[in-house]
Amino acid sequence: MKNLLVLALVLILPFSAFAGGSVESGDTADDAFRIALIIENTIDDKGWCQSMHDGITQAIAEMPDRNIEYSYAEKLLPVDAGSIARQYVAEGYDLIIAHGAQYKNLVMEIAEEYPDVSFAFGTSSEIGPENVFTYMPESEETGYINGLIAGTDTKVGIVGLVGPVDSGDSARYNRGYVLGVQAVNPDAKILVAHTGSFSDYVKSSEVATSQLSSGADILTGSSQQAIGALRATAESPTAMWVGQDLAQLTTEEGKLKCIAASAYNYAAVVKELVEKIESGTKGGECIPMNFANGGFVFDYNPDLKADWVSPELEAMINEAIASFKADSDGTLADWAAVDYSTL
Amino acid sequence: MIDIITNMLAMCIPFSVALLLASIGEMFNQRAGVFNLGCEGVMAMGAFVGMLIPFLAGGGGSVPQWYNALGFLAAALLGAFFGLFFGLVTVTFRAPQGIAGIGLQMFGVGTAGTLFRHFVGGTQSIPGIPDVDIPLLSRIPFLGDILFSHNVAAYLAYIFVPIAWYILFKTPWGLKVRAVGTNPRAADSMGINVSRTRYEALVVGGALAGLAGAYLSVAQAKMFSDTLISGRGFIAVALVYFGHWHPLQIMGGALLFTLAQTFQTIVQSMGISFPYELAVMLPYVLVIVVLSFTSRNQTTAPTALGKPFNREIRT
Repeated sequence: MKNLLVLALVLILPFSAFAGGSVESGDTADDAFRIALIIENTIDDKGWCQSMHDGITQAIAEMPDRNIEYSYAEKLLPVDAGSIARQYVAEGYDLIIAHGAQYKNLVMEIAEEYPDVSFAFGTSSEIGPENVFTYMPESEETGYINGLIAGTDTKVGIVGLVGPVDSGDSARYNRGYVLGVQAVNPDAKILVAHTGSFSDYVKSSEVATSQLSSGADILTGSSQQAIGALRATAESPTAMWVGQDLAQLTTEEGKLKCIAASAYNYAAVVKELVEKIESGTKGGECIPMNFANGGFVFDYNPDLKADWVSPELEAMINEAIASFKADSDGTLADWAAVDYSTL
Repeated sequence: MIDIITNMLAMCIPFSVALLLASIGEMFNQRAGVFNLGCEGVMAMGAFVGMLIPFLAGGGGSVPQWYNALGFLAAALLGAFFGLFFGLVTVTFRAPQGIAGIGLQMFGVGTAGTLFRHFVGGTQSIPGIPDVDIPLLSRIPFLGDILFSHNVAAYLAYIFVPIAWYILFKTPWGLKVRAVGTNPRAADSMGINVSRTRYEALVVGGALAGLAGAYLSVAQAKMFSDTLISGRGFIAVALVYFGHWHPLQIMGGALLFTLAQTFQTIVQSMGISFPYELAVMLPYVLVIVVLSFTSRNQTTAPTALGKPFNREIRT
């Protein structure tokens, strides 16, 4: 028995060197507003999970008058997330965000058990129970902007799209991209393929390589798996990339290949959630994200802009963003009608 | 159409290497009678260490190619160590191999992710190994692109296949491996040290699994993330059955699986009206179908596979 204990200690001790808390900011005062985040990947995945983490930290920074405590839990599959969610409830968290539609059933179940706690999950346009918020990025807008760039800048008339699965905001982004390309280059061939996974970087790099081999010279991709496709694009001497996350602009390959990127500004959503909860609304609403409400941000790669974004293209992009801001419901209302088999 | 076929075939060789190396390694394990489901975990550790060395040397920027070679070497050594560890658990302590393999898989994936976060941080890429056009040969129409324009690691991996065949079927050590995997008691009575041979096979298998992981992070994706392996270790285990524990047939299986992968990608990109969910499943369905039709012909299966050997107990 003693030997077993020694063995267990030897195995556990090395890991203790790497252990770290996940309390990100604030203190544990009783009057603090406590936010917890549950994610399936990591806070630095340069994609889906990082964008929410960055949004929360940005929102906290933009609300200095409020005492906000924030914790996160990473790499949690829906089947494993229940225990940590209940732990957060027990610790008195006011808002628990489960970032992904895959957490829907879990959130619905726990929300029923704890009606005094607010939960949020997305992407989803469903209106949940009274203590559940949902959020839905209307990503067809960001896809459309990137599509305008791809359709204009392609030299061979072939562009690629590496999708994860055809659902949620990825489906909206991808179809918006198709609409954007077709708006400026109706004859362009658009290669669309899905990896079937949000996080298989190798498969997304294989799909991108396949599309590059088929002649595509401007590619894009959605969700965190897109980083693999961007890395594969960097191997091509001529092909370029348009991104769905601003973090892609700062990667080594992004600096060389990513013409522009748009991203979710979850800070706007988080601030709205905090304000609603503090004013007594615990849920029962869907918060859309779009250019009109500041839910999206868009930026160019300063090193590539001069060569790849003509004044005419920039004017077109500005015009599109202005139209989204003016009419967030109508400009791309037909995004769902895009049929990949007709491309 | 010929361009599409050329592209599809040209992608098969580099994309199949990780599966090929891992499944050849698993073949050595299983030929010696040890079923190692921990291949995925060893690949994850190999991928992490393989990428870590060139990353630390260059901070994500370009480094001399020998740093990449050092990454492969470190991955092989670490994989061998994991093989040794698995041997300790399953050969010496005679733990149930399936459960121990699942434990090794979880330990490897978890440890790789933890160490990666500590030493590197977020998802990070490296320049990796470039493709090399073999002079003259790469200019051969059709065949040049398919066979002679890949990275050095891919060539070496395919060169290793006949070497693995030779080792397994033409050397005394290969005979020992097959003997302890088929009838360890008879092998023991002939003076073969069953435990030692199984340890050696596990070390070789672990080293190859480590190399397979390093190939993904250094030569193919040229990056590391927690989810880089994404089940390829389990596919490698299936390919051993698919290839009837024979290196050449395993190579055929790895190529066929990869061909199905690239085919489904191209089918999707061509805009053919076909549900992508079914297209993505195609390679896995193919493996199941082939296994179903070939499972009756398992005369080459190591009959002592999964059975711990204890010379003190007569079975």
